[in-house]
Amino acid sequence: MNSLSFKNVSVVYGEGTPFRKVALENINIDFPTGEIIGIIGHTGSGKSTLAMLSNGLLKPTSGNIFLENTDIWEKPKEIGKVRSKVGIAFQYPEYQLFEETVFKDIAFGPKNMGLSEEEINERVKNAAKFCGIDDASLKKSPFELSGGQKRRAAIAGVVAMDPQVLVLDEPAAGLDPLGREEILGGLISYQKQKGSTMILISHSMEDIAKYCDRILVLKEGGVFMYGTVGEIFMQAELLFGASLDLPQITKLFIELKKRGLTENTDVYTVRYAKKEIEKFLQ
Amino acid sequence: MTFIKTDNLTFKYRDDEPEVVKNISLEIEKGSYTAILGHNGSGKSTLAKLLCGILQPVSGSVIVGGYLTSNEQDIYKIRESCGMVFQNPDNQIVASVVEEDVAFAPENLGVPPKEIRKIVDDCLKTVGMEQYALHSTYKLSGGQKQRVAIAGVLAMNPSCIIFDEATAMLDPTGRKDIAAAMKKLNKEKGITVITITHYMNEAIEADRVIVLNRGEVFLDGTPKEIFSEVEKLKSVALSVPQVTELLYLLQSDGYDFPKGILHTMEAADILENKVNLKSIGGNDR
Amino acid sequence: MLKDITLGQFFPGNSLLHKTDPRIKLIILTVYLIMVLAANTLVSIAAIAMITFVLVLVSGINLKIIAKSLKPLLFILIFTAVINVFFMKGDNILFEWYFIKIYKEGLMNAVLMITRLISLITGTSVLLTYTTSPLELTDAIERLFSPLKKIKVPVHEFAMMMTIALRFIPTLIEETDKIISAQKARGADFETGGLLKRAKALIPILIPLFVSAFRRADELAEAMECRCYKGGEGRTKMKQMKSHPADYVFLLVMIGLCVAVYFINSADFLI
Repeated sequence: MNSLSFKNVSVVYGEGTPFRKVALENINIDFPTGEIIGIIGHTGSGKSTLAMLSNGLLKPTSGNIFLENTDIWEKPKEIGKVRSKVGIAFQYPEYQLFEETVFKDIAFGPKNMGLSEEEINERVKNAAKFCGIDDASLKKSPFELSGGQKRRAAIAGVVAMDPQVLVLDEPAAGLDPLGREEILGGLISYQKQKGSTMILISHSMEDIAKYCDRILVLKEGGVFMYGTVGEIFMQAELLFGASLDLPQITKLFIELKKRGLTENTDVYTVRYAKKEIEKFLQ
Repeated sequence: MTFIKTDNLTFKYRDDEPEVVKNISLEIEKGSYTAILGHNGSGKSTLAKLLCGILQPVSGSVIVGGYLTSNEQDIYKIRESCGMVFQNPDNQIVASVVEEDVAFAPENLGVPPKEIRKIVDDCLKTVGMEQYALHSTYKLSGGQKQRVAIAGVLAMNPSCIIFDEATAMLDPTGRKDIAAAMKKLNKEKGITVITITHYMNEAIEADRVIVLNRGEVFLDGTPKEIFSEVEKLKSVALSVPQVTELLYLLQSDGYDFPKGILHTMEAADILENKVNLKSIGGNDR
Repeated sequence: MLKDITLGQFFPGNSLLHKTDPRIKLIILTVYLIMVLAANTLVSIAAIAMITFVLVLVSGINLKIIAKSLKPLLFILIFTAVINVFFMKGDNILFEWYFIKIYKEGLMNAVLMITRLISLITGTSVLLTYTTSPLELTDAIERLFSPLKKIKVPVHEFAMMMTIALRFIPTLIEETDKIISAQKARGADFETGGLLKRAKALIPILIPLFVSAFRRADELAEAMECRCYKGGEGRTKMKQMKSHPADYVFLLVMIGLCVAVYFINSADFLI
């Protein structure tokens, strides 16, 4: 079953003028329910546009977007309802915090959904837990928190809406290795528990390879590759053609393959690399 | 020759807060390329600001190019000799047009107009942005903005440039461009470069890596030396290049591999050698 | 969405208006404004309209852009016209139908006001904002007003503030767009509800924007200090302003036209 599907979706600006610009062209993608899909592509490849289409913030110039088999633009006036089902956390979400307390800020989304106070309470506590925010921080002003904590509070605000599809645009941007692991780790355990679909947009091939089931590679507004992580990495050399940087370990295996030492390039974690190397050292 | 020297440098933001930088004594050589690594909260950004005089020590001292940062009358001499490129590309650009922004520093220093023109053209050329001289600063990419920022700092003819997490907000292409610029400035122009970062692949390009943890110097050495200490780095929430970790894990399993291998090609060579030796019949497990 | 504002934008070019010394342009603009406000007969306002049109042609700015800049004014123009045509009383009735009385004075006044408004906006845009880069503008103001420094007016500081404000306008607009998207994604509704509800709905936009603006200001100030900014004392400028004889001729022509308008005003050409 697919939670989100794009059929022949295009986004074109300035059609018919000399300033015509194609943000996305002919996107046909199905995002299976319960999976973690990574979206990667060079700057300008259309990643953010795709994100904004998924929850109706942007309307496609042509094509349809289906949320569990219903066209989200079927009733344009009710597009707001889609936003509680498809949640997006944009880049550097900490710049959008505004409430008096962290609790209230996380509660903003559920409040807009019209939930009861008990429900809001529970959602906020749950979201805070998954995002690594302790009870003491909930009472503080969001502006008192450190950069990393602010990030987590902002993401918790989206998680609290309990969307069926959670879209995260570079949730770990600018964080150090530990910060990256904490945020992504927390989100993955949330996803595993809820069984929701998660779309992770990132520039880091390492993160995507580590956490995702499937990868969508965008290039210049179009789909370049789409498949499971293993499938994509088996053709790892092609990724250079999309102006992407590969995990160092994959580059190593591409080099080893060139030197005839191995057939596999679908190696993207150090652990797996070790196993593979031990094989041909025996 | 030492360019920056700190002596028991200590700093905290407020009296009721813990020390962010504790008793750091280091010397940065003129013309060197140093990377300062540390997890968020290790004090590295604060250290950067102390090194160029934006912040004043609570105790201890910082001497830049012979001048004490706590001497108010010398502060502009220090600012001229030690420039800083900040993390947010937007928040260091003053003007709407590229060449006007690069001219900002020399204008502040009262440089004659004709000379400023030449300086601006030269600096833009050094960072590869000469075609964008009349471009609007707003429409540039993150990497381009940072290059303009670098040009703006270069326009002061500094002896040293500190990059305070200057690549943290950039995409991989932008990071590559800035890393290349840093190297060029150091190797071709002889500028002392200090880069504050948590990106491994940037740190391995430096001549010296200093690892900070909780405000103190934890490790100090060449990239090869530092990244050999895989366990120690993990203990302070830092990681090592993947190939380094790979060979380290193989080594702990009994295979004989050298420590501190940082680059892909190097690792490939070593593995190929090992396989060849095996097939020749050697058993050096 | 917010990016379509053309009012106030700079369009680089090579026309006479682009090349005139900005300081002189400021004076020319002042004379022009006096002229526009002074004209109070049909003939003199027609002369103003022609002069404005000539200025537009000389600037080389696309007419579509001029039209775009007047669009936001459409409501005011129509409102002014209606008020004057239908509600101004005078001595000569032109048209009567039940209680609707249209006087010649009303009609004339409507034409006067509308032409004046359009000329004011278009003239200022074409003489100044479209053909002068933001830096040239703030530089010109700084230089023109620098004698005031002697009486402790912070001329340089004002000019620096203007430069920085202009530079950050597009950046802040982009940030506002992002904040709106993010809050919308959390179910914020900016379209429905009464005045009070909509005003409250702006808080999730305004607070992050203000916090961000302050943070930017802090970081920018630090960066400026690191580049040895110490105020206006001893500062030089890369771009020198040189006035040419042609600029002064332009100024004289404008003054001449202004005087002519005064004459036309008082002459008995009234229809």
